[in-house]
Parts: sequence; C-alpha cells; structure tokens
Amino acid sequence: MIPELGSFALILALCFALIQGTIRSELTVNAVFGQFTFLSFAMLCLIISFINNDMSVIYVREHSHHLLPFIYRVGAAWGGHEGSLLLWCLVLSAWTFAFIIFSDKKLSKTTFSTILMILGWMSAGFILFLLSTSNPFQRDFPLSPIIGNDLTPVLQDPGLIFHPPMLYSGYVGFAIAFAFAIAALLEGKFNKEWARALRPWIILPWSFLSFGIVLGSWWAYRELGWGGWWFWDPVENASLLPWLAATALLHSLIVSEKRSAFKGWTLLLAIITYALSLLGTFLVRSGVLVSVHAFANDPRRGLFLLGYIALIIGGALALYSIRIKKFFKPSQFQLFSRETFLLINSVILLTAVATITLGTLYPIVLEALNLEKISIGEPYFNTVFVPIMLPALLLMGLAPHVHWEKQSFLALWKKMGLALLLSLLLAFLLPWSLGYPFGFLTWMGISLGLWILLSTLQSLLKQKTGLNHWAMIVAHMGIAILVIGVSVNKSYSEERQVKMQPGESIMLAGYQFTFDSLDKTKGPNFESIKANFTVGNEPISAEQRIYPHDQTLGKTGIIFNGWRDLYLALGNSLPDGNWSIRIYYKPCVRWIWFGGFMLLIGGMISLLNHYQKRRGAL
Amino acid sequence: MKKYLPLGLFLLIVILLWRGLGLHPNLIPSPLINKPVPTSRSVFLGQVTLLNVFASWCEACAEEQGFLNQLAKNNKVRIIGFNYKDTPLKAKAWLKQYGNPYQNIMVDSKGETAIDWGIYGTPETFVIDKKGIIRYKVLGAISPDLWEETLGPLILKLESETL
Repeated sequence: MIPELGSFALILALCFALIQGTIRSELTVNAVFGQFTFLSFAMLCLIISFINNDMSVIYVREHSHHLLPFIYRVGAAWGGHEGSLLLWCLVLSAWTFAFIIFSDKKLSKTTFSTILMILGWMSAGFILFLLSTSNPFQRDFPLSPIIGNDLTPVLQDPGLIFHPPMLYSGYVGFAIAFAFAIAALLEGKFNKEWARALRPWIILPWSFLSFGIVLGSWWAYRELGWGGWWFWDPVENASLLPWLAATALLHSLIVSEKRSAFKGWTLLLAIITYALSLLGTFLVRSGVLVSVHAFANDPRRGLFLLGYIALIIGGALALYSIRIKKFFKPSQFQLFSRETFLLINSVILLTAVATITLGTLYPIVLEALNLEKISIGEPYFNTVFVPIMLPALLLMGLAPHVHWEKQSFLALWKKMGLALLLSLLLAFLLPWSLGYPFGFLTWMGISLGLWILLSTLQSLLKQKTGLNHWAMIVAHMGIAILVIGVSVNKSYSEERQVKMQPGESIMLAGYQFTFDSLDKTKGPNFESIKANFTVGNEPISAEQRIYPHDQTLGKTGIIFNGWRDLYLALGNSLPDGNWSIRIYYKPCVRWIWFGGFMLLIGGMISLLNHYQKRRGAL
Repeated sequence: MKKYLPLGLFLLIVILLWRGLGLHPNLIPSPLINKPVPTSRSVFLGQVTLLNVFASWCEACAEEQGFLNQLAKNNKVRIIGFNYKDTPLKAKAWLKQYGNPYQNIMVDSKGETAIDWGIYGTPETFVIDKKGIIRYKVLGAISPDLWEETLGPLILKLESETL
C-alpha cells in the first residue's frame, strides 16, 4: 500500500509541476506547495518502505538487507539510482518553494512568475524521467521470501546521510539562477534589482556545493583506505565543474550588480553552471563513464536525460545567442582595475572548467570516434589544473585591494608589496625551520596561501568592514587555508606498506606504530577482524569487515590533531602469518576540509547581510 | 558568429555523449589477448577451451550455469572452471545444485592466480586456442545471443586451426 501511495504522490507532483509550468497566475504558488508536499510524501513513503524492509519493492530489495542498521536504511533511500533521482526532484521543489517564500520583493511580478514557470518545466521533466524510467516504487512480488542484495558496504557510513543531500542541494539549487537568466533573456531586462535578487540564489547553492564536495572528500579519505582525499574521479569532477563555474558566476554577478557591466557574461555563466550540474547528473546516471560512483545503467535512462539536457540547455543557449545583443554595453573601466581582475578570474576559472571537462570526456570522445580505449587519471589533472589555478590565486589576494574603474600600479605595489615579499619569505622559512626539505611547487603553493591570508587580513585594517566584506574575508581565507593544506599534504605526506604480525613495530615520520593484537569482533551486520595498534600511548585500530553476501570492506583507523593525521589501513592476511599493513602520515590534511567549511560559513555571512539589508530597506 | 559559439560547442558535446551512450565503457580489452595463458599452459594445449571463472557466492554465475551445462552436454567445446575466492566445500555443493559443465577445475581460493590472469570479477570467460593462447575474453555472463553471434563462430574457426 505504501509504495502505491508513493507512486501516486509522484503522479500528483507531476501534475502540479505541469500546472506550474503552464499557468501564469498567482495560484501557481499553490502548485509549488502541492508539488513540494507530494514529493516529500513520496520520499517519506520510500523511507518507510526501507524501514519496513519491504522486499517486494525492487529498489528496496536491491539496496537493503534485513540486517542493515536502521540509519543506513534511511540513507539507502538515496543510495541508488532511483532514490537519488527522487532526492533530485525533492530538492528542486524545495528550492522553488524556498524561492517563493524568500525571494526579493523588489523583483518584478512578471519576472517572478516567469522564473516559476521555467522551474515548473524543469521539475516536470525530471519527475517524468523518474516515473517513466526509474520509478523507485516498482514492485515485483516474489514467490518465496527474499533477502535483499544489501547496501554496498562502502555506502554504509555516516557520510551517506549527509553527503548526497548536501551535494544535491548545491547542484540543483543552480536551477534558480538558470531560471533567472532565462527570464532576463526573455524579457530583455537585467537591472540592479534583478542582480540583487539573484545573488542569494547563487551564494546559497554555492555554499552547499562547497561543503558537499568537502564532505565527499572527507568520506573518500576515510573510506577508500589509500589516504587520498581527491581522486579526479569523473564523478568528483562532475561536482567540481559546477563549483568552478558558480565561483566565476558569483564574482561576475558582483560586477554586474555594482558596475552594471559583464551582463552577457553573467547570463552565460548562469547557463553554463546549471548545464554543468545537469552534465554531472548525466555522467553519473547514464553510465557512460567508468567510475567508483557509477550506477547500473539502462540505455533508456541515458537517452532520456541527454534529450532533456539538449532541450533545456540547447534552448537556453539558442535564446542566449539570439537575445544577447541587448545586453552588450560599452563598459567604462581601464585595463588595470578591479573589473579586469574579476574578468581574468572568470576566464581562468572557465579555462579550468574546460580542461577538466576535456579530461573527463576525452575517453568518451576517443571511443565515440572508434579510436581507442584510454583512461585519464590524476597525472593529467594535476599537471593541467595546478598551473591554471596559480595565477587565479595570485589575483585573489590582489583584487580586493584594487579600485573599480582604474588603479595605479605603483600605488598597488606600495600597498601590497610587503605582504607579497613576506609571504614568499615565510613560505621558505616555515618548512625549513620545521626541518622539511625545500620543493619549488611546495614553496609556490604555501606562498600563495600565505599571500591570500596576509592580503585578506590587510584589507581588514583599512576598510570599514560590513558583513559582506566579512563574508569575502572568511571565504578567501578558507581558500588560503585549503591551498596551504593541499601544498603541505602533497609534499610532505609519508607512507609505508609493510608485512607485520602482532608484537612488531615500525617507524613512520618519527612515530612508532606497534601492532598489539588482532581481534575478531561482530557488528550489527558484519563480522570483522580488527588490528589494534598503539602510537605513543594512543590506540588506533583498523578493520577488515565482512558483510552479508561476502562483501568485504576495510575500515581505516585515524588519529588526528590540527597538524597531522596518522592513518592505518589493514590489508589481507598473508600465507606466512603476516598481515599487509599500510600506514600514512598526512600533514595538514584537515586544513583542506576546514578551508572548505569556511566557504560555507562565508556564504552564510553573505546571506545574513542580504537579509539584514532587505529588512532595513522595508 | 561569436555569439553562437557556446551553442555550437554544446551541441558538439551532446552529439559525442549521444555516441558515447551506445558504447560499453566496461569492456576494457584484456592486455592478455593474443598472449599465452599465464599459468598451467600444458592443460590448454591441443584443444580449444573456454575457461570460465565462477564462485559459489556469485549470483550471475548461477544464472549462467544453465547455458554452460547445455554447451557441455552438446559437446560444443571443452570448458574448464576457474574457482575464484571460494572454498572447495562450498564450491562442490554449488556445483551439485547448479550443474557441473567443467572437464577440469582450477582452484584459486585466495585469488592469487587470478591476478596473473587479470581477472577482476565473476563471471568472466576466456577463449583459449589449441596453442594455449588467449584469443577472447568475455566480462559477465555468456548469453545465448553472445554465443550465436560471437563465441560459436570464433570457436569453430579456432577448431579449424592446425597446431
């Protein structure tokens, strides 16, 4: 009964989405509310089916098991293809609902209703996709009782509860900015009110996406057992691409709002950002790419999604080509000005987008042309991404100190020269004083991080700091901390792979790891072999778990403080009674995630400012 | 013209992705194709062989087994089993339940020999010619269609080759 109610709710939600897409009236608001309610209800039905372990529902059967702990049964609702698409639809309708409640009242009524209509069509397309190719409530009554296929052990982690909803809130949220852009193109209107009304709808999803990516990185780090925090996996790239585009959009919009320039560019970026979100969804859902995240594929799904993307984004870009002339306006700024800096920033970010897209799609391209099968991995991405981003980081420290319209180079040098030299020097001295060897790229990375940190702090001294300024400071310092974390981590990590048995010890980076004992333990739905170690006086243990259906999963052990992680992974037992053990020393790895977290905080501060101003204006 | 650039680029990507949909990224050619079998070469000499990787914990193997039994019964080709990460006891019980098409079985309970063969899942099947050279590899279960279209003709051709 419950799955049928869920299916029924989906159909009702589709009807509401169609109403929202076709009727321009005050009543559309009710359609949005109805849609949100029924999609929430459908999600609830799916979760209840999981909690009850209703094995007649195919999707539940494939992702649950009677021993699966309660919390993961809830998370399993979006652990597979169908459920995660339902989450997509739900998040889109939640964003639309939020848009109705919180949207800027200065936005014109027509623009407002146009945006709602566009969102209605996008939602209808996705719900239709869900119902026609991926209904999570599809039933199949088995003749004999069945045990479920179980949720992949890798997903049985608290990360499953937070990472996908956070990431989707980011991805999908860009739909609002996209609808804004289409409305502007249709109406030929792009003014200050429009730009100001759009701003929170970029900042909020951008913050969520930033944090979603960080959560994913942290999860992969703990779960995969190789001490890495970013793998340039196609699906990771799929989340990084919209993030880069949205970062460019965020900065371009500031110029549009404050200086009424770059309007065409802002509109294009809004379309590209959402296009990349959709591309990401396509890459994950269609199975065109080999990836740790890939889901089972059904060719109809890929085709439907591709058609949908071609229609929505193709239509948007065609509209852009036709209407863009209206938005060109000779801008008045000199070569050396904040406008130029922000423009260069956009161009760099977009170049990064292009190179990552190329690397991600290149294997498909070659195959499509019947050339060969290749896979592109970390070496390519590290080689191309790092040099592209270095100048962006340099500019990031400068731009906040450059005036709009024009800036004298000499004055800028006088102001910022000290910070630049100081960061170059400190980046050399700090590793040296701690006894680390010198490396050119490391030095560059740490210098740039310190440079952003110092120059951002310097901007605190002179200017009156409003909330908006604080938002920038926190976000930029987050990037600085992230950059330093990445540089140190990449350069000074250490690892060893060894054969050991209880009683032995081994040194790594000045820490002594002692293998104390080996235990057999039992969890709610797994049996496990646990290797207990001590480092100094602290215990650390790693496990090999065996889940139902003989799936095995390693659980790493980690001891951390602000400066470094010590990381332990247990491998296989060897015929001679030894165990293969991997240990890692990972300096500053937490800085990467902390920096990412600061992006979220920065975004929240900016939002606070927006609503404070709005209340002040009313 | 410049303003049509984004649209043009986008359409290009869509076309490529559309072509990409018809492809199978998981079919990575084995580097061992046209190379001699990495282990137990003598077993394979003189007769065309299917080496079928199976395990009692593998559900797709159970589905494939029916078709393999038919092949064995009709003497289409010699089939040798490769028992992967399994225990002999479980494997025996499983063969009793689902049928045993294998003339001989290689046992690799720890999955070590499998590394030499480049095996990364079950079921997988190698086609090996009379000289003990790997000529083809199937990832996943063998379907009657695949047999009719590819494997059957290939094996006929290999049978006609002289040593």
